[in-house]
Amino acid sequence: MTKTPIALCLVATLLGWSVASAQEQKLSAQDAAFFEKKIRPILVAHCYSCHSAQALRTKKLRGGLQLDNRAALRKGGDSGAVIVPGKPKESLLVQALKYESLEMPPKGKLPPRVIADFQAWIARGALDPRRGTAVTSSKINLKQGRDHWAYQPLKRPLVPRLGGSSKASAIDAFLRRRLETARLQQVSQADRTTLVRRLYFDLLGLPPTPQQIQAFVEDESPGAYNRLVDRLLASPHFGERWGRHWLDVVRFAESITLRGFLFPEAWRYRDYVVGTLNDDRPFDRFIQEQIAGDLLPAKSLEDRQRNVVATTFLTLGNNNLEDQDKDKLRMDVVDEQLETISRGFLAQTVGCARCHDHKFDPIPTRDYYALAGILRNTKTLNHANVSKWIELPLPLPPDQANQFTKHQAAVAAVKARLKSLKGTTGSALAPLPPAQLPGIVMDDEQAMTTGIWMRSQFTKSYIGSGYQHDKNEQKGDKTARFRPRLPRDGEYEVRFAYTPGSNRSPAVPVTVIGADGSKTITINQKQTPAIDGRFVSLGRHRFQLNGPSEVFVTNAGTTGVVIIDAVQFLPADAVGKTTAKKTPRKKSSTSQKKQIRSLEQQLKELQKQAPSRPMYMSVEEENTIGDTRVHVRGNVHNLGAPAPRGFLQVIRMDYRPTFSGKESGRRELGQWIAHHDNPLPARVLANRVWHWLFGAGLVRTTDNFGTTGELPSHPKLLDYLATRLVEQNWSIKSLLREIVCTHTYQLSSHPSSTGMTRDPENRLFWRMNRRRLNAESLLDAILSISGRLRTQLGGPQIRTGTTTDYNYLHDSSRRAIYWPVLRNSLPELFRVFDFANPSMVTGRRENSSTTPQALFLMNNPWVLQQAEYAAGHLLDLQHLDDAQRIQLVVTATFGRPPTESEWASLLFFVGSENDDKTLRKQKWSQVIQALFGSIDFRYLR
Amino acid sequence: MSQATLTRRQMLAASGCSFGQLALTGLLQKPVSAAPSNPLTPRQPHITPRAKRIIFLFMQGGPSHVDSFDYKPLLKKRDGETLPFDDARVIANTGKRGSQQLLKKPLWNFRQYGESGRWVSDLFPETARHSDKLCLVHSMHTEGVAHGPATLFLHCGSTNFVRPSMGAWINYGLGSENENLPGFVSICPSPGNGGARNYGSAFLPPVFQGTTMGTAGGPAADAKIRDLVNSRLSRRQQLKQFELLRSLNNGQLPANSSDAELEAVINSFELAWRMQSHAPDILDLSRETPATQALYGINEKPTDNFGRQCLMARRLSEAGVRFIQVTYGDGTPNPAWDQHSNMPKHADHARRVDKPIAGLLEDLNQRGLLEDTIVWWGAEFGRTPYAQNRGTGRDHNPNGFTVWLAGGGLKQGFAYGSTDEFGHVAVKNKMHMHDLHATLLHQLGIDHRQLTYRYSGRDFRLTDVHGEVAHGLFG
Repeated sequence: MTKTPIALCLVATLLGWSVASAQEQKLSAQDAAFFEKKIRPILVAHCYSCHSAQALRTKKLRGGLQLDNRAALRKGGDSGAVIVPGKPKESLLVQALKYESLEMPPKGKLPPRVIADFQAWIARGALDPRRGTAVTSSKINLKQGRDHWAYQPLKRPLVPRLGGSSKASAIDAFLRRRLETARLQQVSQADRTTLVRRLYFDLLGLPPTPQQIQAFVEDESPGAYNRLVDRLLASPHFGERWGRHWLDVVRFAESITLRGFLFPEAWRYRDYVVGTLNDDRPFDRFIQEQIAGDLLPAKSLEDRQRNVVATTFLTLGNNNLEDQDKDKLRMDVVDEQLETISRGFLAQTVGCARCHDHKFDPIPTRDYYALAGILRNTKTLNHANVSKWIELPLPLPPDQANQFTKHQAAVAAVKARLKSLKGTTGSALAPLPPAQLPGIVMDDEQAMTTGIWMRSQFTKSYIGSGYQHDKNEQKGDKTARFRPRLPRDGEYEVRFAYTPGSNRSPAVPVTVIGADGSKTITINQKQTPAIDGRFVSLGRHRFQLNGPSEVFVTNAGTTGVVIIDAVQFLPADAVGKTTAKKTPRKKSSTSQKKQIRSLEQQLKELQKQAPSRPMYMSVEEENTIGDTRVHVRGNVHNLGAPAPRGFLQVIRMDYRPTFSGKESGRRELGQWIAHHDNPLPARVLANRVWHWLFGAGLVRTTDNFGTTGELPSHPKLLDYLATRLVEQNWSIKSLLREIVCTHTYQLSSHPSSTGMTRDPENRLFWRMNRRRLNAESLLDAILSISGRLRTQLGGPQIRTGTTTDYNYLHDSSRRAIYWPVLRNSLPELFRVFDFANPSMVTGRRENSSTTPQALFLMNNPWVLQQAEYAAGHLLDLQHLDDAQRIQLVVTATFGRPPTESEWASLLFFVGSENDDKTLRKQKWSQVIQALFGSIDFRYLR
Repeated sequence: MSQATLTRRQMLAASGCSFGQLALTGLLQKPVSAAPSNPLTPRQPHITPRAKRIIFLFMQGGPSHVDSFDYKPLLKKRDGETLPFDDARVIANTGKRGSQQLLKKPLWNFRQYGESGRWVSDLFPETARHSDKLCLVHSMHTEGVAHGPATLFLHCGSTNFVRPSMGAWINYGLGSENENLPGFVSICPSPGNGGARNYGSAFLPPVFQGTTMGTAGGPAADAKIRDLVNSRLSRRQQLKQFELLRSLNNGQLPANSSDAELEAVINSFELAWRMQSHAPDILDLSRETPATQALYGINEKPTDNFGRQCLMARRLSEAGVRFIQVTYGDGTPNPAWDQHSNMPKHADHARRVDKPIAGLLEDLNQRGLLEDTIVWWGAEFGRTPYAQNRGTGRDHNPNGFTVWLAGGGLKQGFAYGSTDEFGHVAVKNKMHMHDLHATLLHQLGIDHRQLTYRYSGRDFRLTDVHGEVAHGLFG
């Protein structure tokens, strides 16, 4: 990667501009000759192909930089000015020619003689006889941009009044008005057998049993349909179907491709989503929880748990934890989050504006970095050689939480005693994640620092991802403040961690500021810390929640290297009376050895009974909160103008919060998205719901409402649905109920010839779309017919003992939503049947018919096994004859009784009822497998 | 929209993928009523192709170019000296340039081979015999210092973002020449360092993703296409069942209107039936003569596994698969060629691959397949000319390394570009990984700037906004 010194660029920009305007002097003949002989030929031969007006015309211009006229050269490119007249050393052009920052020309370094010519030329003022003007790229016009349909304020449209019978629902009225103008008519209603299968799969993702089909078909009382809808919406399996839709959007996965790392806690988020859908909790709240749940107030412990687990949303990206350029990785993570948030909630392609103003939509780069600044204040990874996502202890009721703290403290106490008994010369300590320590632990990265501290991982006994030292420089300039967020008032044992060494300072002043004033303790960092070889005690201190609580370290007056690693606050009641004390190092006596043995035994016992503390995946607020700058061409090492935190300017709203210096801004981001003046989220969600029910949205590009997306086929209907959604307290169930009860939803999927001629794509909904069962429904239906389906809800699913996701053996009889979504090992059925790519926002799945699908249904051992299970059950029903068995199994798979000819050919295939048992089972297995391959099983009519 | 298999035109319209204006116009001229087509049917390339397919021999982990194909006499001469180098890892971690490093000479002797007189070390004596067929690119450079990012960059042109793999792009761009086989096969891919993403389709329709056979480190003899064989039914039994399924499905088609989507479903079964009848033969190495098997080192101890992979690749390329990747790696997170310490271990790896590679070149050549097949040998990066931490191994080097290509209309016995005098940084005719991608696509008849797919509001391509075709490689 190339790096551009930031400060230099800024200086260069300023100078470049001021000098450029002054440049109108006349060239001496000598200067002109120098330019013509030494400079121009090089520019023409090596630079113009990418940096000229010609290159701009042929779209080959790079870096926004033109070098083919004086004005353009002086103006510079995306990285600012490229020459500082008179100052070759500060000129980016020279640095690039020398391959110091950029490497230009990329094909190979020019000879030193040529570079010297350029230096000489710039030193003399970069005199340039060429004329012409710099072309500026067009700027985004926000005012015009706001005219785009999607950014219009949301207003409830008038429902069209139709002639004739005016019984049509509002939704039907909007649709029919459009059909009228196209002179098209809707086809007839679907029959009841078709409807009941449609409803079961659409709302639950499960097939109705033959009994359920019969019950509905025979119930001719008015309101039977609505009652069925209500019953299905109330089923706990509803959330499994509709939650899974949302998991597509948020690129839900339980592992990361790189090294196959597992996300052992991701399932909590999946269950949170399922629960939210089942409880029909308002979607605007759902938005805010996922973006900023950790920052939201909670009324109860349950609320708190839900809020924090919701933020797992931010952490699921398939990031490359190994990237060695951690500044870049940090922005890549932000970019991924921004992409997910903007496409998922707003159907906007904000990512395009990372490197340049959006080419099609009114989204300037500044807006991108205004949003990015918010997420940049949020820590998603702890950086190390291989960075790591963040897991935090789940909030628990006090009694349960105490149990963990007590246990951890007990273990720590035994360890500490062991340590001091054994002396500190034992085996080297490995890095320890803060999450494994009891109490509140603040890592050095969370400290507010002044002066330049160097990060290091050299001495391995550190906490978290490393420690920092003062380089033994600038004594008095460097400080660090650890300000914890303590859960409650009270007395705490405060401990300070450092990595010892012979070059360390023997006297580091560390001050604890608490409710009873401040106290300074001097630490000898040459000595191994007494507690676990990592911490020294700073004593017990009382803190009040709204009083001062701080541990302050300075390098003032120190000699030797000063280390900061972590500070731990242990509730005093959890520590017990046995605070570790320093024991002088001695050779162990026999009694000590005995003691060590007994302690080791004790430790083993304790670790055996260790209750495992429930954790969840989340993010944390960064220590330093602030705005960021525009990253020129997306390069983290090339910072441009400041970009104060904010939102998309194209959406005009009254919501203009001031961002605090203490919080990332995620809370405000969540509020802005969910704000009633923001027209996008309700439109986007209403459209998604429509898409998931009809197989095509009113806007078919469900994740792109920008100018490159499609226009809505029924803008007024979309606005009607969106306003209804908001009015009904963002209830997805109410919206669903209203839609599935329309006449249109209940239409047959049979085509009419006029329909096929005038609107073959059915954009006007003159019929119901025939839709394919998705991967999950296919799996659930097969399991349900084989009789193996276990329908319990939720819980962790990755087999215990699994260490990576490589070659994971999927073997479950739970519903598909509970099959682990492992990025390197998706269940084969998922891969083959167009399951959403779990690394990207997917509002609309692919819908392919491929050979691997056919091969899967023909030969896959799991399919063969399920067919055999089903055959076994069927043959066990001894009161049935084969004709009745066919009736039953066809109804279970197709949701309708067999046709005459199906009946005949199936009966013929199974042969005689007197065949031997093995043959019978084999034939029936083959029949059922053939049903699994049939169109009427795989499609919803 | 609910079409299962779209016609080409519908697919282009629906997904908004653009395929270059020129190609698109051609496609639009197809009659709308044309039977629903398989998205993998062969497509017209943008430019006259010089090659029809690529076999990529992926040497996972990064073999050392200065110990194999990039001869640097000065490195031998100044062995043991300490000099400042801009080490890629040091720069990425600290931003510091010019760290002090201990030069380490190659562990193997170099010799000149063939009429072209190309230098190859004793690591690859068998491959060396084919030097006059090779087009060596010594000036490779890439992105990513660690395996994960660099491996993704090699396959997908991006160190971090989820992007389609090169094979998927080619599959999307050209389709498969054989309707009984997939267009992109990855033989024994590694689960590590990007795993499935390295043969994935990302936002391209999943039909274009690579079909895998086996996994790295597993026995190649067991590498099979999944679900190709029914474990329970005899062929006769299955045929009867297939006829039952066919009659059910035909009965479920709408009575008197044609339905492209459902016909595509029926068609997928017909194709599957044909594929399971033909593909096993293609994948059956026992159909080769003992002489051919011996050429690849099959049934010999160190070469059997990779020999089988290479022979499989030849059979697949012969049958019309567009992009075949053969991975030499193992199942561990530490890739095979990754000798951070203990450089001599390179010899073990070379022994396992050298003869099979030579066999593949020989065999392709004999059959005339090398004319329109490109063999590409390479890795995610090379290794440093200096010892890592002054020890016994070499660290990753993304700034300069060698790949070689053979066949497919490329110059033979030719060396392109160069690294500096020690082999650390590419200096002359630099070939970025994006450039290599562009060049390979070009040989297949694809303009890398025109092979685009619209996703999330913009057109994506394998080479992002980069990539220059290196015309100097073409014969």
